[in-house]
Amino acid sequence: MPDKEEIALIAHLMRRAGFGASRQELEERAANGYEATVEELLHPEEQPAIDDDILYRYLPGYEGALGPPINQAEWVYRMVNTQRPLEEKLALFWHQLFATGNSKVDNPPEITQQIAMFRRQALGSFRDLLVELAKNPAMIWWLDNNGNHNGAINENWGRELLELFSMGVGNYSEDDIKDASRAFTGWTIEPKIPRNPLGRFYWNFEYRPEDHDDGEKNFLGHTGRFNGEDIIDIVVKQPATAQFLARHLYNFFVADEPQVPSWNINPPNDPDAVNQLVAAYDESDGNLRSILRLLFNSDFFKNARFARVKSPAELVVSTVRMVGNYQEPRPGFNMLAMECNWQGQELLNPPSVESWHTGGEWIDGGALVRRVNFAAGLLGDTSLPGVRTIIAGLRHRGVSAPEEFVDACLDLVGPLEFSGSTRSELLAQAAEDGDLNWDTEEETEKSEKKIGVMLALIAASRDFQFA
Amino acid sequence: MLTTVAAGRVFDYSYCIGMYGMSGQGFWAPQDFVLGEGDLIYVISRGVEEIGQRITRVTRNHEFLGQFGASGKGDGQFVWPRSIDLDSEGNVYASDDFLHRISVFDKEGAFLSSWGTAGSKEGELDGPSGIAFDADDNIFVVDSANNRIQKFTKDGSFLGSFGQAGEGEGELNLPWGICLDREGNVYVADWKNNRVQKFDADGGFLVMFQGNDNGVGDLHGPTGIAVDSDGDVYVTDWGNHRVQIYGPDGHFVTTLVGDAQTPSPWTQTYIDANPDIVKARRRANMEPEWRFRRPVAVNVDPNDSIFVLETARHRLQVYDKVKDYEEHSLNL
Repeated sequence: MPDKEEIALIAHLMRRAGFGASRQELEERAANGYEATVEELLHPEEQPAIDDDILYRYLPGYEGALGPPINQAEWVYRMVNTQRPLEEKLALFWHQLFATGNSKVDNPPEITQQIAMFRRQALGSFRDLLVELAKNPAMIWWLDNNGNHNGAINENWGRELLELFSMGVGNYSEDDIKDASRAFTGWTIEPKIPRNPLGRFYWNFEYRPEDHDDGEKNFLGHTGRFNGEDIIDIVVKQPATAQFLARHLYNFFVADEPQVPSWNINPPNDPDAVNQLVAAYDESDGNLRSILRLLFNSDFFKNARFARVKSPAELVVSTVRMVGNYQEPRPGFNMLAMECNWQGQELLNPPSVESWHTGGEWIDGGALVRRVNFAAGLLGDTSLPGVRTIIAGLRHRGVSAPEEFVDACLDLVGPLEFSGSTRSELLAQAAEDGDLNWDTEEETEKSEKKIGVMLALIAASRDFQFA
Repeated sequence: MLTTVAAGRVFDYSYCIGMYGMSGQGFWAPQDFVLGEGDLIYVISRGVEEIGQRITRVTRNHEFLGQFGASGKGDGQFVWPRSIDLDSEGNVYASDDFLHRISVFDKEGAFLSSWGTAGSKEGELDGPSGIAFDADDNIFVVDSANNRIQKFTKDGSFLGSFGQAGEGEGELNLPWGICLDREGNVYVADWKNNRVQKFDADGGFLVMFQGNDNGVGDLHGPTGIAVDSDGDVYVTDWGNHRVQIYGPDGHFVTTLVGDAQTPSPWTQTYIDANPDIVKARRRANMEPEWRFRRPVAVNVDPNDSIFVLETARHRLQVYDKVKDYEEHSLNL
């Protein structure tokens, strides 16, 4: 039987590299060991993919979804039901980094295609991911590269490639942007069959050599007749790129950093950790699996429990996975998608190319009320299968008195590490409710209600907002 | 190819019906249809969550006659409408694989009754999918998640069942569609086993329709089946976006891939009303629009016209099986 510390460490890993895990899954993974679990997560291709046939049989509107929130619901379904948690978590990471929004693209299936590309490229080389991103039709439209022509450049893609997607402000000049943009002229999208009245048709990338500026360019100290891939080859070798990506990975997987736009003036909270990630980037030529292997096995990661505020998607998906009532196609995924929206994260439609502000900025008065009501409503529902499992676990442990009851609940929901003040309040509630008792049907019913109240209180706590 | 010639058969593309519509004129993620009296067609739309569920009445001549049914769990409403058929009086029966029930409407769409109890015991339903009436006005129901076919009177009294979960002959894995031929034999789209099975009326296994060892005639998630007057069998090969045609003994004949090069009149009206769409269509490669996308149901009329319904294109494509075709001079 794995000890409590091993379970807690695996739970931390699964919150960060996935969307949490049930107690049974944690015990199974802990029995295999931490490093073996990391390796399994790093090889999602060895686990079954979502069965698209089943999904589209029962929810046919999800395929080529005509508009939000259906396309968002389709992704929530995948996040809730994936057996490849890191693959889906990385799709969310790349979506937050390479923010592409339906507000402009107005073509939901294309953004869904972009997310699918993130899944395919999630653990390969950063260079290949950037090339695929540059060819991604939704991104081309989002950042206007279809309007970037030989002799009449549009700098939007070229600028954001450097500023937001790779190096960060202050590491290149305006001339670098211009010549990077020239290199991406001719990278566009094929004319496509228009939407409606026969559903949606997909865009395809198209390279038009006649619209490409084949002249000499000067870019970050290099000179040549660069095309787009040459620019990316130069970009991924820049120290600033390694630093920028490392900090994003730290911010998403380890601990909340200051908001991204301030990074050129605010140094990393843990420079040594970021430097370790940079070294892994350099040693692996930007191989994402290698970088994440170092990250998840590092002490700085293992020691960063509950150091991140859950994003709305993380909060919604992890809670739903815990209570276990969305494990197959069913009505209701639209509402889960809308719940993310109401909590401040409209999936597939970030507020701008700068993406969402994260960490503490996920929380405001309205969002907090929604987060609390959502999580407490589900965890307090003793009819749901995941809650039934927690109740069965408490009965199995034979807990009764307030202190052991509270600690067992915190253990089975997490394990969670709650502050003294929160735990005191939970103890006060448990004392007021009295001991658990399973002797009669009536007492059992009362005990289950007490557990529901306790789980709802845990979900409503400040501490529960952190991953 | 607008005309497909294979193994002594000729299939001539004719026309298409329908377009996408959240409500009113159009279909939304349609799942099944049935050919009614005269040129009447009933099409059942799945829609998406809590919107778009209904049965549309339309003619073969593109006349929209109205719709009935709506989203919900009440009488005459649907959550996951799946399949549709008519009894001998023309009443409309529709399955709902979320509500585990069959709803009954008159031919104009007035709600009459519903029946069905969720469960796995005899006569209970778990995810009822395809439905089909026999000549005695009894109804076969594909009880999908229970991996069996159940037979009921048209008011829902249990008569019998056959099939069980598995991969062997007579066994099923999440079956979907069903049809009967003129002799009363029963064809079942054995969806997750990627094949169609033919049974006699009592459930005795007769013939298997599936790909051969070389992959010819393969199916990936077959959904709908129909049989023409010659006994040829049409299967909507949902996962491969095509219709596979087999001879009566199960040998593969040919494939239809969709040929809707001319939009339906409803679609054309929509296009003509939007100059930007007209322009965009003139610049694009239109072939993907012609082709089947998620063909889900197929029916054959007494003249051997073949109607194919596509979930993702929200339309029907119609082919004629030509009996008196004369080969043109091939050296033209």
